[in-house]
Amino acid sequence: MRQFDKIAEFGQKLMALQNIEESLQLISDEAKEIVNAQRCSIFIVDEEDKMLWTKLSDGIGRIVVSLNSGIVGDTYLKKEPQIVNEPYKDERFLASIDKKSGYITKNMITVPIYNSKREVMGIIQLLNKTMSDFNRKDLETLTFFANFVSGSLELAILKST
Amino acid sequence: MNYANTYLKLADFGRELLNKKSLREGIPLISKYAKEVISASRCSIFIYDAQKNTLWTTLSDGIEKIEVTSNKGIVGKTIKEKKPLIVNDAYSHPDFLVDVDKESGYKTDNLITAPIFDSNRRIIGILELLNKEGGFDSEDMKFMIFFAHYISGFIELITQVKKEG
Repeated sequence: MRQFDKIAEFGQKLMALQNIEESLQLISDEAKEIVNAQRCSIFIVDEEDKMLWTKLSDGIGRIVVSLNSGIVGDTYLKKEPQIVNEPYKDERFLASIDKKSGYITKNMITVPIYNSKREVMGIIQLLNKTMSDFNRKDLETLTFFANFVSGSLELAILKST
Repeated sequence: MNYANTYLKLADFGRELLNKKSLREGIPLISKYAKEVISASRCSIFIYDAQKNTLWTTLSDGIEKIEVTSNKGIVGKTIKEKKPLIVNDAYSHPDFLVDVDKESGYKTDNLITAPIFDSNRRIIGILELLNKEGGFDSEDMKFMIFFAHYISGFIELITQVKKEG
């Protein structure tokens, strides 16, 4: 019941926000807390320009990648969450982003966010879980979390366009 | 009907919904809101149990659970096709269950349904509205799809997280 109250309280906070920047920040902070990760980026799908972009990623500012690049792009294409616990051994991994930010990615989890038409509208990406690697339980938690925030995110995107 | 204003104020409803700690409290609120904004006379929310292949709903007072068949009627068709349906002349539709009207004494003229999906994109419920003057249109359907998705987080939270304690 405590967990229920915590999620409900977070949801109410999220629904009280008026703009997408604030919504993305709150979602990102909550996601980091629930899986004990150090960094979070929320990528929004731009079907028209075939791009994935973030408003603000921890420590690096805005990231824009093409829809088919990197582990985030693969999450979009496969419509499946990805756990990558050895990113430097994964050929999809974009080491150039680490180079730019000066931050070393040790492990990663990505989860698609669906809109009401059941299309992928965004991807939650978390980096560097403290103490251990990302696991099955994190994936289940984040899958639920992605759906829980998706209604508010879709509404925020609708209002901002 | 134009839903622009409804979208702008939807978050107020969402916050109120998250004050509810059970489906028994939440369902009447969802029904009342859906009826108001879509201008329909009745609303039913069916909760789907995929393992048992059963659907249950509550009567208008929100207290008593009733089980209904999940493979018949327009609701059954919605589950099978996994997409929303508009039926603007219920009695001429081959899938419409006239018996339900006979039992309840309420005459259905038109109806709209939308599936509610969980985070794994499995159907966890069906939202159904009955009797809108002039029938339901594509704008109503667009809103139903959006609304069914919007409340899915609440329904999943109640049915999954609460179960785990």
